[in-house]
Parts: sequence; C-alpha cells; structure tokens
Amino acid sequence: MANMAVSRIKREFKEVMRSEEIVQCSIKIELVNDSWTELRGEIAGPPDTPYEGGKFVLEIKVPETYPFNPPKVRFITRIWHPNISSVTGAICLDILKDNWAAAMTLRTVLLSLQALLAAAEPDDPQDAVVAHQFKDKHDFFLLTAKHWTNAYAGGPHTFPDCDSKIQRLKDMGIDEHDARAILSKENWNLEKATECLFS
Amino acid sequence: MGNCLKINSSDDISLLRGDSVSIHGHQDQLPHEQLQQVFYPAPSVSIMPIPASSTTNSHMSEEDQIKIAKRIGLMQHLPIGTYDGTTKKARECVICMIEFCRDEAVRYLPCMHIYHVHCIDDWLMRSLTCPSCLEPVDAALLTSYETT
Repeated sequence: MANMAVSRIKREFKEVMRSEEIVQCSIKIELVNDSWTELRGEIAGPPDTPYEGGKFVLEIKVPETYPFNPPKVRFITRIWHPNISSVTGAICLDILKDNWAAAMTLRTVLLSLQALLAAAEPDDPQDAVVAHQFKDKHDFFLLTAKHWTNAYAGGPHTFPDCDSKIQRLKDMGIDEHDARAILSKENWNLEKATECLFS
Repeated sequence: MGNCLKINSSDDISLLRGDSVSIHGHQDQLPHEQLQQVFYPAPSVSIMPIPASSTTNSHMSEEDQIKIAKRIGLMQHLPIGTYDGTTKKARECVICMIEFCRDEAVRYLPCMHIYHVHCIDDWLMRSLTCPSCLEPVDAALLTSYETT
C-alpha cells in the first residue's frame, strides 16, 4: 500500500487510542491484518435511540489512495436503520462518498456514524424498506430497530411477541434471520409474512 | 526546478512563470507552454480528478484532459511559501499528518490553511476544496483574481 496511506493510518490509530471516546468505551478500533489495509471498528449505540446499549461492529477497508479517497466502511453487525442496508450493511453517508475531505480521520468517521445512528436521513435512504417504515409506521420502526439491536448487537430490550412470531416461522423451517427480516418488513404481521414466504 | 522552493512574492506574474505542478506523463498533451518539468519525484501521483471513475489515463477524453489542464492552471495561482514555524500556523499537514519542518515548502489556500505542496496538489486534483474547512478554492481564487 502507498506509504502515505500506511503512515497516516498508523498515526490515526494512535489518535483513536488516545481519544476520550475510547476511555468512555463509545468507540473502538482494532487491526485485522498486519498490512494496515483493513481495520475493525466498533461504535456504541447512542443514548436515547433504539440502538442504545448495542455494540455495532464495522468493517473498515483503507484504499491505497487514502487519505485522498475515503475508507470503505460497512456494518458487520446487522442493524435496522434507513441509511444502512439491512441486508449488506452498506452505508449511505455523504462523507464516505462525495463529501469526503482529507482532513477527516478514522475517529471522525466513527463519530459521524454514531451521529448517523442518532439522526437518520429517511429521505436519502440506503434501505428503502426501512426508510418507508421509519416515515409511515414509526412505532414499528422503533420496535424493530430495538429488537434488531437486542438480537444482533447485545441491546437490552427484549420483545417476547417478536420472538414468538419468529419462532412460529422457524417451526415452519424458515431460517431465524430470514424470519426476522420478513417479519420486520411486514410490520410484524405474521399472516402477511407467511404469505410472502410461501406464495 | 528549484524556483518553487523560494518564497514567492505577491507578484502574480512570477507565480505564473515559476511554479509548476506535477503533471507526470501529460505535459506533452497539455496546451500550456509554461507548464514545466515537475519539481518533485512522484510518478505515482494520480492526476485523475475522480479516481473512482473507471477511465484510465490512456483513455481519458479530451474534455477530461482540458479539465485537468485548467485545474493545474488554477492551482498554479495558489502561492507557495516556506514554513517558518514561528507563527500560530498549523504544525502538521492534515493530509499526511506529518509535522512541517522549518523551511519546508508549503502551499497556501485562500482560506490560509497550509499543506505540503505535494499533498495538497494531489488532493486538489481530486477536489477543489480545502480539506480542513471545505471552502471551495476556485471561487475564492477567482474573486481574488478579479479584484487584483
């Protein structure tokens, strides 16, 4: 990898390690390989959001042209959010695309993602299904986001009603995640979800 | 070679004549006579304005080449100075995150943010904004150019 990319990532890594957010356990970063091209980030779900109490792991790939181009970041932990794909974890955030600036760092990227969790932009969605629910059935959105935070990110809120519906579909031979995804999409209407799966 | 490392006066004409920007492998395609030999060895410097695009240097359209030539022309108007280390200026170049050395060549953007010449030139080829404050460089440059 280009020298500047490596030396910058090394410096940024130290910066994150020294940061206040590390002390507060709000963000984390670790190396995946020795070549400094791939890192693993972690952000805590912000307070007063459905993601509170969850830990979300991110895949960070550093391009050779870094810092002239942004790092490639995606969620490894599954998350229900209008600007993050519930299928792939791809993120829709301007600073990771056209609005990237060379002065931004791994630390500011992680903090921006945390801010994105607290302030979704449903009009510029990555996941149309989630964005639609966010706008039209906001109560269902909050419930689903909290449920996913519990199921995948270690969040504290459990929803026995959701779990029993997922179990019903599992009993029909459906994979747990597929069951969760279809129920989430259908606003937890078991009949509609079943219809979707078997029609 | 070497001219660019001197402190430039405020005289625009000397800037035009003296400074050159990295245009490796493309000088022959550029219409500007004044574009001189590069002054730092950086053959890997990409001059693609949008590196994400799939076009390669050899397949660049004439339009793109003109765009690049224009951009290089514009960048030549950004003054280069030497880092004196005495003022309250930034201590490190936020692009490479390496501290400036005394008497090192730095380029000034209209917003007065400073960077290593090779760092900022590479960035400006991709985006004409200040990496620190995101101020558009061309707008500020054109304004100052018209009034002088």
